Amino acid sequence: MTTIDLGPRTKAFRDELRQWLEANADDEARSLQEERRPSRQPNEASKRWADKLLEAKLICVAWPEEFGGRGLTGIELAVLNEEFVRAGVPRVTRGMGEGLVGPSIIAHGTDEQKATFLPRIITGEDTYCQGFSEPNSGSDLASLRTRGVVENDEVVVNGQKVWTSGYWAANMLFCLCRTDPDAPPHRGISYVLIPIRVDGQPNGIEFRPIKQMTGDANFAETFLTDARAPLFNVIGGLGNGWRVAMTTLGNERGGNATTQHLAFEREFWSLVELARDTGQIEDPRVRDQLAWAYSHVELMRCQGQRILRTLAAGKQPDSGGAGSVNKVFWSEYQRRLGEIAMNLQGAGALLVGPDYKLGRWQSTFLTTRSHTIWGGTAEIQRNIIAERILGLPREPSVR
Amino acid sequence: MTTTTIEAREELRASLREFLADRAPLSAVRRHVDLDEPLDRKLWEALARDIGVQGLAIAEAEGGAGAGWAETAVAFEETGRGLTPVPLLATIGLALPAVLAAGDDDVRAEVLPRIASGEVVATLGWIGEDGDWNGAGDAVRAVRDGGQWRLSGALGFVLDGQSADILLVVAATDAGPSLFLVDGDDGLVRTPQPTLDQTRRLSVISFDGTAARLVGTDGGAAAVLADVLDRARVLLAAEMLGGAQACLDMSVTYAKGREQFGRPIGSFQAIKHKCAETLVQVEQARAGVEAAALALNEEPERVAVLAPLVKAYVGDAFFRAAAENIQIHGGIGFTWEHDAHLYFKRAKSSDLLLGDAAAHRAILADRLGL
Repeated sequence: MTTIDLGPRTKAFRDELRQWLEANADDEARSLQEERRPSRQPNEASKRWADKLLEAKLICVAWPEEFGGRGLTGIELAVLNEEFVRAGVPRVTRGMGEGLVGPSIIAHGTDEQKATFLPRIITGEDTYCQGFSEPNSGSDLASLRTRGVVENDEVVVNGQKVWTSGYWAANMLFCLCRTDPDAPPHRGISYVLIPIRVDGQPNGIEFRPIKQMTGDANFAETFLTDARAPLFNVIGGLGNGWRVAMTTLGNERGGNATTQHLAFEREFWSLVELARDTGQIEDPRVRDQLAWAYSHVELMRCQGQRILRTLAAGKQPDSGGAGSVNKVFWSEYQRRLGEIAMNLQGAGALLVGPDYKLGRWQSTFLTTRSHTIWGGTAEIQRNIIAERILGLPREPSVR
Repeated sequence: MTTTTIEAREELRASLREFLADRAPLSAVRRHVDLDEPLDRKLWEALARDIGVQGLAIAEAEGGAGAGWAETAVAFEETGRGLTPVPLLATIGLALPAVLAAGDDDVRAEVLPRIASGEVVATLGWIGEDGDWNGAGDAVRAVRDGGQWRLSGALGFVLDGQSADILLVVAATDAGPSLFLVDGDDGLVRTPQPTLDQTRRLSVISFDGTAARLVGTDGGAAAVLADVLDRARVLLAAEMLGGAQACLDMSVTYAKGREQFGRPIGSFQAIKHKCAETLVQVEQARAGVEAAALALNEEPERVAVLAPLVKAYVGDAFFRAAAENIQIHGGIGFTWEHDAHLYFKRAKSSDLLLGDAAAHRAILADRLGL
């Protein structure tokens, strides 16, 4: 950051943030951990901290101001993250609502839809979970078969979804369903926001948790039986869901390229600690692996700075595929990091705790296998890179 | 040293690319290789006269443009892209940083304007014929004979040693490794070393009581060399980045045009994924090289980490890109007449030059305090 002239507006923003954090980042807030996924039961302290941030308009900060955000630029977002890290307090994010659904509504929703759905995401009133993949529609998402039938002013949805994460905390499902079975695969799909309960009553949505290879159950299969949503909840219009979904997926794999290195760097130094503790830090092979790992983290920082320099020069960074480049790089890096950590632990890595409780690095080792799958597999990302950035021809369709 | 804007660097890139396409296309590179001429001096002079490449990192008061190292890195990237047969790494990557770091005002005043004008080729030799990049700087000994320093011994792997007008030598005195300047040919023998990568010229230079001039302080070359090597690592990485990008471009162009089974081979995922992986690595390499080159101007404290990092990462990335390029081209890629092998050999020679990727990761680990 030191090489980039941030300009007066960004400096003022940093000053304002620092003042606010000094006044509000108390011991209780500092004791909170960054939440990587919505917790099943948010505690009182988390709620108090979230309310403070809400009041100070420090939630959904990347959204445009007219929709309740702050319209922060990439640079300001990086400043915000830095200041929170510096103050030792977690950011509060609204999960998929903030990162995936909100941006899709902003891009494709009507004014009335924006006015209805966006504030509820910001306040935390609505928490979303995702209904995209199906048992027979993974990488080939456009082949999905969940049906949506329009009855009067409602869409009635029937079918099965899978890999629904965060379902336990959600009250809304954003869902792709086929509303026109006669249209070509990409054309007949609609993007519907379905309430999980209506007036306190079940709305035909049942979740069955899926136990993962980690032993946790963060996902569910989702069964929809006559689940109903008002037509008003169709984003982008009937039959236009694929375009909206592409916005969502673009955001899902984009990650936060300007700040992600911070967490990876903390993780790297923990790994160095492990190598020291196990007495292997002098082993040339281990040093090679650690230097390899650090290189990847540092390159992520360099990539983030490159994006910021581009923004600071008043230009848009490359889009259309850039998110895929980033996703491939960090996901495959972290997967390898988990493998290195397992080997450093040696025989110790053979054992788990009671109830299959995993150690930190066992958890990284296993969890990272999913990172090259969700949001489009590494293979799909490479197809996107090859076709959208390099302009290689699409594979002929056999449909 | 100031850093100019992204626009200025992109303008430089565009004009340099146009210049090189006109003056040094790959066909000309091949003729140059086949003729086995040590140097295309007209091209070297034009590079200074028309674009001002050699003076980019030299201050205006010393005959240069005062633009900085980020611009210089762009020039390395573009010449690396086209395998341009110019002694840029020797003159600007090694000799220039050595003169800048040595702190000898007389030598600076004499040498820098001549480098900036393209009038001379300069190089630096610091290792012997054993090829130990981490050698103690004692392949050549220097003794004082009255008021005159004299060199004895032999340097190996001297970049552009045949064509260098100005020869900088790290030689051991009683005070330790010291930097010397040899101007002219008296008392030295230059022998070309046949190279696997024919676009990269190397020489053995032997000295036998050769008169030389001490540059900077007696025993001061260890610190000079440390600074020089980090700059050379970054600039060589920039050159390798250009080579990697060229390989990617060749692969993609071929994959779009070549048809088998009734369709372009680039529509097969096996080929697509090779190209995509090269692109991922080239993009990371670009970010790293840009950060490292800017750090040479503005953040010297980051150079210690970024220099070995990009040397290692971009070295691996270039080699992979060059290897996949041959594989994607199939049989034609294995022929002498195709350009793919020029890049493949350049990739390996660049990887090994100054020490390979693993050696640089070892340096990085040390510098991180692991």
